[in-house]
Amino acid sequence: MSTKIRRIVAGAFGLAATAFLAGCAKDAPQDTWQPKGSNAKIIDDLQQPVFAIAGVIGVIVTCAVVYCIIKFRDRGQAIPEQTHGKPALEIGMTILPALILAGVGVFTFRTVFDLSKTSDTQMVVNVTGQQWWWEYDYPAQPEMGITAPIITSGQMIIPVGTKVLLRETSRDVIHSYWIPALNGKRDAVPGRVHTLRLDADKPGIYAGQCTEFCGLSHANMRMETVALSKEDFAAWVANQLADAKSPAEKTLAKEGEGVFLNQCARCHQVNGLKKADGSPAIAAPDENVWAGAAPNLTHLMSRNTFAGAAFDLLSKKCRADVWGATSETVGKKYLAGVTEECLNQTDLRRWLRNAPAMKPMYADPAKLTSTNGKYRGMPNLGLTEDDIDKLVAYLSTLK
Amino acid sequence: MFTPGSKLFLGLTGFVLAVSVIYVAVVNNSIGGAVALLSVATGTALLAGLTLFNRDGEVAVGDVAAPAGAEPLTSSMWPLVATVGFVGVVAGLLTHPIVFFLGLIALLASGTEWLIQSWSEGASSDKVYNASIRGRMLHPLEFPVLALVGLGVIIVAFSRVMLAVSRDAGAIIFIVAGAAVLFVGSIFALKPSLKKTLVVGICVASAVGVAASGIAAASNGLRADLVEAKEEQHFSHKECGEEVSEHFDHLAEGTISLRSNAVATIELRDGKLTARELGVAKVTQTITFPRSNSATIIFRNKDEKEARLTAFLGTKAVQDGVVEEVLDCTQMIGKDHEQALTFKIAKSSRASDKPYTLTVPGLEGQSIEIMVP
Repeated sequence: MSTKIRRIVAGAFGLAATAFLAGCAKDAPQDTWQPKGSNAKIIDDLQQPVFAIAGVIGVIVTCAVVYCIIKFRDRGQAIPEQTHGKPALEIGMTILPALILAGVGVFTFRTVFDLSKTSDTQMVVNVTGQQWWWEYDYPAQPEMGITAPIITSGQMIIPVGTKVLLRETSRDVIHSYWIPALNGKRDAVPGRVHTLRLDADKPGIYAGQCTEFCGLSHANMRMETVALSKEDFAAWVANQLADAKSPAEKTLAKEGEGVFLNQCARCHQVNGLKKADGSPAIAAPDENVWAGAAPNLTHLMSRNTFAGAAFDLLSKKCRADVWGATSETVGKKYLAGVTEECLNQTDLRRWLRNAPAMKPMYADPAKLTSTNGKYRGMPNLGLTEDDIDKLVAYLSTLK
Repeated sequence: MFTPGSKLFLGLTGFVLAVSVIYVAVVNNSIGGAVALLSVATGTALLAGLTLFNRDGEVAVGDVAAPAGAEPLTSSMWPLVATVGFVGVVAGLLTHPIVFFLGLIALLASGTEWLIQSWSEGASSDKVYNASIRGRMLHPLEFPVLALVGLGVIIVAFSRVMLAVSRDAGAIIFIVAGAAVLFVGSIFALKPSLKKTLVVGICVASAVGVAASGIAAASNGLRADLVEAKEEQHFSHKECGEEVSEHFDHLAEGTISLRSNAVATIELRDGKLTARELGVAKVTQTITFPRSNSATIIFRNKDEKEARLTAFLGTKAVQDGVVEEVLDCTQMIGKDHEQALTFKIAKSSRASDKPYTLTVPGLEGQSIEIMVP
């Protein structure tokens, strides 16, 4: 074998090995080949044989093409006799792919119908997308222990082994909800409600990503579904149903509550928060934000992420501890929330200092003419370091 | 040194540059507008360079090139139109965008016509040939534009007539006009030997007649019931009470096309109101409605009596200290009919002293609560 051919073969081998190995990621949280729920398994049961069939056909076609390229390459020989038509071969080559596609089609349709089944739903969550975060609201469902509506964002909590129906919609542009380990993707379209079923076999945290390009920070619009045991889910519900408690007087957190009321409560709702006159503070994001909503922060520190699940509220060490937990221990660790030692103060402070610098958003007042002055995302509030200290202290109390 | 074509384009370049300066200084100092105008200036400057380089394309005229001064040039109206356009553009910059755009259209149209006409008149010594190449260049543009304008005038004029006459007269005019078009069209089709001038004469006379009728009707104004409806806002408010609304309930739709995507279906049966939410099998008395997001519900009437569904969507301050309820409702619908109702609730239920509800006016004790998270 000449040096030149050896180099080409080595290069081709290296390229193929790189491509092959690129597909092998250890602990990839958004791996579609590792189903963790019955709906994802239904998809997996279809995609495995389809990929196998496609792979075999791909290899056969590639081999045939390579064979033809080498066998019939130009060696300066005369052009062979030209013939036209080979009916048997042409009919065979038409019927065979058609039969393969028909076979795949039958199983695909069955899968589609299986996935759209909703008659045995056990729990409902309304999922609303907006630039660039997801809001989850749980209607009152006494049989699930949810006696009053619950609202949260970034992380959706579901009880393990429960058939959960998501009713998806959007407040601004089209988004797409996708937790690869639990089911396929489904678009969230303004003015429409689309349904998607999820269930998880084991407790754990399952990551996802908006999969419909939705503007400037599409890449930062993430989501996580946290599956908890039924007991842990009940504990989570009980906590979410409670209003936030006001911090003790003459503390930094109490001062932070004042800053929150002045700066944040226009858009962010904290259930139980009262104004100076004692009346409830009701957020009016519809008057300030283009989408008409901002995350409810009543139990901010009960979740692990903020800003559309783009950033961690937990420090790296604590996050690794929760994400690396076994299915037996993940519930307890998750329910512990964000403790003082685990709070990722660096990112939270950076966010409060200048949110658009961390996550690109249309929040510059000088460029808001097309939205009548309403923000898309969180603006830079121009907080002082003193205000930030107080706010962090207050937010840390929102367990 | 300068050819007629290059003079035109150089003039245009200078003009657009001047407009750019005026635009940035007086109208809007946005980068976008300046870039657009300067792009036009760059384009016209390039065209000026091209026309200078090829001497207005005289070389390309070829074997039928005209000897200089062989035929006197015909008179042209385009300089006049261009002047009007120019004035319109300048006046529009100072007054209203519509004037600016009309001037711009006149300027571009006259520029194109003028340019092609000048070029074609110098193409050869044969007037017929010159006219034919002008037509070849401009007819694909002129005919569709003229047809569009003509059709637009007829449609607008006819619509003015229909809005001015009474409903009954409108129906008669529509039938008569349609029959006349059919009759005259049939005559034209059956008698292809008809004189061209006669056909053109009939068409022009008809078009002028319609346009004149339209002008007369427009000056006469809308018919009385339309004026009244406009003054009393018949089309913009709903009457959500128990009684049939004179205007809102007129010709209530018996069916809907939004049934595939409603968040809930509200049914009235045997005097009871029930709700069924999307994806939930059981019947409830409470629905969850998305906050700050338009969504649709369906009202289905299974009772004999006509009914409407009214949504209480909170309150709003109309003046200092004066608060009024925000209501939305379906039309009054009969048995087995359905209506969609699309609305938006901006604030959560916490913001309202009274729960958001769905009720049927006149039906006591029946209500569906709308929970807004």
